[in-house]
Amino acid sequence: MITTVTLNPSIDREYFIDEHKAMKDQYIYDDENLKVYPGGKGLIASINLKNLGYSDVQNIGFVGGKQGLYFEKMVQDYKVTTNYVYTSNEMRNNIKIIASTPPSNTLYNDYTYSVSKKSVKEIKKRFKRSIRESDLIMIAGSIPDGVNFDIYYELIEICNELDKDVYLKASGEALNRALKAKPKFVVPYFKHTNKILDVKVENREDYIKMGKELQNKGAQYVIMPFHTNRLLFDVDNSLYLLSPEDYCIRNLLGAGDAYNAAFFDYIFQNGFDFLEANRYAAAAALDIAEHKIVFLKGRQEIEESIDNITIEELEV
Amino acid sequence: MAIVKNYMMRSLNSVALDDTIEDAIIYMHKTEMPILPVVDEENHFKGTIYSKNILKNIIPEQYGFINRQKILYDRNQAAETLSEIKSRKVKEYMLTKTETILEKDNMDKIAEIMLNNKESYLFVTNDNGYLRGYISRGDLLYYLLCTTE
Repeated sequence: MITTVTLNPSIDREYFIDEHKAMKDQYIYDDENLKVYPGGKGLIASINLKNLGYSDVQNIGFVGGKQGLYFEKMVQDYKVTTNYVYTSNEMRNNIKIIASTPPSNTLYNDYTYSVSKKSVKEIKKRFKRSIRESDLIMIAGSIPDGVNFDIYYELIEICNELDKDVYLKASGEALNRALKAKPKFVVPYFKHTNKILDVKVENREDYIKMGKELQNKGAQYVIMPFHTNRLLFDVDNSLYLLSPEDYCIRNLLGAGDAYNAAFFDYIFQNGFDFLEANRYAAAAALDIAEHKIVFLKGRQEIEESIDNITIEELEV
Repeated sequence: MAIVKNYMMRSLNSVALDDTIEDAIIYMHKTEMPILPVVDEENHFKGTIYSKNILKNIIPEQYGFINRQKILYDRNQAAETLSEIKSRKVKEYMLTKTETILEKDNMDKIAEIMLNNKESYLFVTNDNGYLRGYISRGDLLYYLLCTTE
């Protein structure tokens, strides 16, 4: 069983229209122009892992209200095992308006979802009993209102107690506090802020400095997004720059989730090799970025992009 | 071969042995499930808790229970009894003799069990007894529909 955790999932709706203009009513008649799917970082990775052939992949998290029932059914359609704490409040909805003339992409991100203290207590209990069959656990994404920033720290401590490794993709205060539980893999992300550990990062030196700081504060390995590249901080303090070559980006939606899923896939297929797992993961992200798809289709497509990924060691 | 794994709902939504009856009722309400699987602290399947069973314990007369101390005459008394038992543990009210099936079992076995036991839901485990999901009468009918097509 592979376990992913998504505490703040969403129902994502994409509307494809000709022109996004104020006061102009839009009518959508073609279902190709309206897409609805379950969203959330850990969850998308779960769907990718199912597409790569894994039999048992579970997604643990909160879902809310009647929309939670709809969300769970959508997830089940991907054959992902659901393990959800139902909250009283309705879960969130993200809306994306994609217009063709002029090309534009407008997001309405909903962060109104909140959960009760009782639900938080329940998710910790549920998490502890549900990860027994998993060796490597992915915890990813933001946390809803009502959840203390210590939540990732607490979940990782449960993993430590049960001798499970953690792959953590997080940002902000939840990431800061999680570090003291010493997660094995840390991937910071910058959706809401360009800060790491509350320090603004702009150039490569800033990213390198803060990657090292993440390690000093507890992360064993750090995979740091740096534009379209990744800075890889190995446990032995060596540093690498991973870069794609000869590529044409057509889409960024889902690339990061493909990276996370493929990182797991490499380890499960070949055993742990930090650099090669990242090379394979980057090839998966490149496959998504170069095609207008959100989910991975299979390993063959990943393999076809491997030669476009280079890794060079940097002087520290 | 049509196996259960291809037709079941892959859901680990469950309550634990030491959860309360109140927890179970709220979860039944939110998930719109009249029956929940009960698991231990490692997610091994241990039994089921039915809404019907909880009702039996708060409205004994309707079900022919003879315990005169517990006989109730109206809804308010049922609510009062429920408030008395809501903090009790699920393990006190669950059914442990619940038939389970394996995810690798043939779908034909489901029809037999559901007809013989009048079960509307059957819970699915793997070989090690870990909960894996459930299969309902609706899933069985869907399977039969697919077979005829």
